[in-house]
Amino acid sequence: MPKPTDNLAERDWAHWTEPAFVDIEGVNTAYRRKGSGEPLLFLHGAGMTRTWLPLFEELSKSFDVIVPEHPGYGDTELPSWVENMDDFVLHYDALLRELDIENPHLVGHSLGGWMAANQAIFYPTRFRSLTLLAPMGLMVPEAPLADPFRLSPQTGLEMLFSGVGEHYLEYLQQGDPVENQLHSYEESITLALLAWNPRYDYRLNHRLGRVHIPATVVAFADDRFVPRRHAELYAEYLPQGHLEILEGVRGEPASHVAIVQQPVELAALIAKATHR
Amino acid sequence: MTSTEFHLFNYGSYPYIPHASDLPNSAYIDLPNKYFDPIHGKHSLATYLDTLVFGEELGFDGIHSTTQIGGPVGITPSANIVASYLAAKTSRIKIGTLGPIMNAATSPMRVAEDIALLDQLSGGRLIVGLPMGHGQNYHAIGTANPATARERYWEGHDLMRKAFTHPGPFEWVGKHYHVPYANLWPKPIQEPFPEIWIPAAGSRITLEKAAEFGYVYQGLFVPRKALARNIATFRESTEKWGYTAKDSQIALVLFIHVAETDEQARREAEPHLLSLFQNINRSPQHDAFPPGHFSVDSLRAALTGGGYRDRDISKLSYEEIEETGWSIVGSPETVREKLEETISTLGVGKIIHVADMGSMPNWMIRKSLTLMAEQVIPHFRDPGGLPMWAKTELPAATHTAFGAYAAEHRPLVPAQVDMPGVGIVDTQRAHIEELRIPLTREQKDGEV
Repeated sequence: MPKPTDNLAERDWAHWTEPAFVDIEGVNTAYRRKGSGEPLLFLHGAGMTRTWLPLFEELSKSFDVIVPEHPGYGDTELPSWVENMDDFVLHYDALLRELDIENPHLVGHSLGGWMAANQAIFYPTRFRSLTLLAPMGLMVPEAPLADPFRLSPQTGLEMLFSGVGEHYLEYLQQGDPVENQLHSYEESITLALLAWNPRYDYRLNHRLGRVHIPATVVAFADDRFVPRRHAELYAEYLPQGHLEILEGVRGEPASHVAIVQQPVELAALIAKATHR
Repeated sequence: MTSTEFHLFNYGSYPYIPHASDLPNSAYIDLPNKYFDPIHGKHSLATYLDTLVFGEELGFDGIHSTTQIGGPVGITPSANIVASYLAAKTSRIKIGTLGPIMNAATSPMRVAEDIALLDQLSGGRLIVGLPMGHGQNYHAIGTANPATARERYWEGHDLMRKAFTHPGPFEWVGKHYHVPYANLWPKPIQEPFPEIWIPAAGSRITLEKAAEFGYVYQGLFVPRKALARNIATFRESTEKWGYTAKDSQIALVLFIHVAETDEQARREAEPHLLSLFQNINRSPQHDAFPPGHFSVDSLRAALTGGGYRDRDISKLSYEEIEETGWSIVGSPETVREKLEETISTLGVGKIIHVADMGSMPNWMIRKSLTLMAEQVIPHFRDPGGLPMWAKTELPAATHTAFGAYAAEHRPLVPAQVDMPGVGIVDTQRAHIEELRIPLTREQKDGEV
């Protein structure tokens, strides 16, 4: 979260762009917005904040893309009253009203996929479409998530990028290494609030039945964090759920963060999903 | 020099595990339990308990147990159960449970009840440590969220403190706990509650809270430089609350080993001490600091300022362990000198002596402790060498002491039964025909 000493203008790491800020019911919320067309709200996963990713740039060629940083992530503060998923549902309801965005497409990756699923559950008629990319959130006893809270920098890189993380360090190195490490630690506190235990919400199985909008769930073929079974089950529980498998390209596996490996392919897939 | 207290504290580790260099993570959370052989485990436990019980005969001021969950670091997942055993096996020495992990309990009232029961069982000899619990423990407990651990812990503390200090029942209405009937039965013998120790690695919030409530600050394993800084912070904090911490309010954990000569002492201690640092104390950052367990500022200090973990402690050499003040190893003379220097420099009134170094055999621990008790500790005691507990009387330890108390203090009301055809009588007299007399209203209300 920006400290008084943080000078946003001095940040110069790869993919950094300065966010806009908007007050959402008392939460100073950082967001990035670009493009024109139908609005598309993108809810990010549990990291890689403080950037404008190539995927967003691709999407902005066809959509009015809005990428807010969740409370407790990036440059958005974590207010003391935020406790669980409900608070994020309310936060994004307020954000859409504050920014006057009507009936956007809703896309979420990983943790953001879980948030997007909840958003659609609580507001089942608000969104034009729902696209979930390697979403967390389901209880899958036969294929649980990998543990996101016991990752050393090396094992984290290995797991999240399915072994090819060395090619993508630019997405992870942001300024002073110790401060960057502390920033990640701070974001992990928000993840722990939401998902320390349990790391899922068993009620989703039933609740997803409320979501009758066109829905696409994308599994990343070589994801070592969220097993493919999660995407399959999401697609099964969503009444209009459609499963897509994103395979690896250019000799690389499709990892949990295929969003940075395959921005063009994914943007095309999302565009297709919004008009099913 | 004022009289220093000596408390005995062992790890009680299960030492037969692979070397850390062959493990992907720390030995705390997911070391397969195939390595635990129940009979070898029983023997390790027996050594642990034996050396603690021996502490009374040796003349230590207190003996202590800890809670260690989900690994070989300590095979005592409940400090309270160990304390209960120690209370039964000893008669005078202080018993410390260092302690229950509040966030592992569903209600702080359960913790308060167990503390009260232990104080009853031990005849008012209990000392209570209130640790947040190692970060690693939060992985093993699972249900306790480190992101809210600190605030939940302090609310639990506040509830427990109120249960000790206010008449029950009362209703607790808090963010983390709603207890409609907080009603402490039993109450501890020590009024209003046993001495409380707060272990702290250096969190300023924790030091300030310990100062606020007048608790003992138990300095955890940190390099000497960081420890001196923490002690200074603690003393300053007590001044904010209108008093200055006495030395007896500061306890220091030290690995101590005594043998006949300096050389012999090192020969005996070195393998065990190094093994402890390499295999047991070692824990990578992501295991030791789950999200929120440390505040961001505390973690920043730990990572940068020579604090708790600014380097991998498993890489420390024997000399570094000694130089940074974690250990004192030597002949009785050497240990005396170094202890004296440590105590006077830091101003600590309680030494928590770790004797087993994780994997030492029973006989070696006993030899070291005997030398410690006979040739080192008396030097730090008043003439006569008595431990604190030998200077005071135990409450209600015998029938005669109880009789003397009962003659002065009757229960509020008699024990009552409605006997058919007679009415409500005193159960204690009802077996004697002529004393089976209905109680008057005043007698029933305890007014006679």
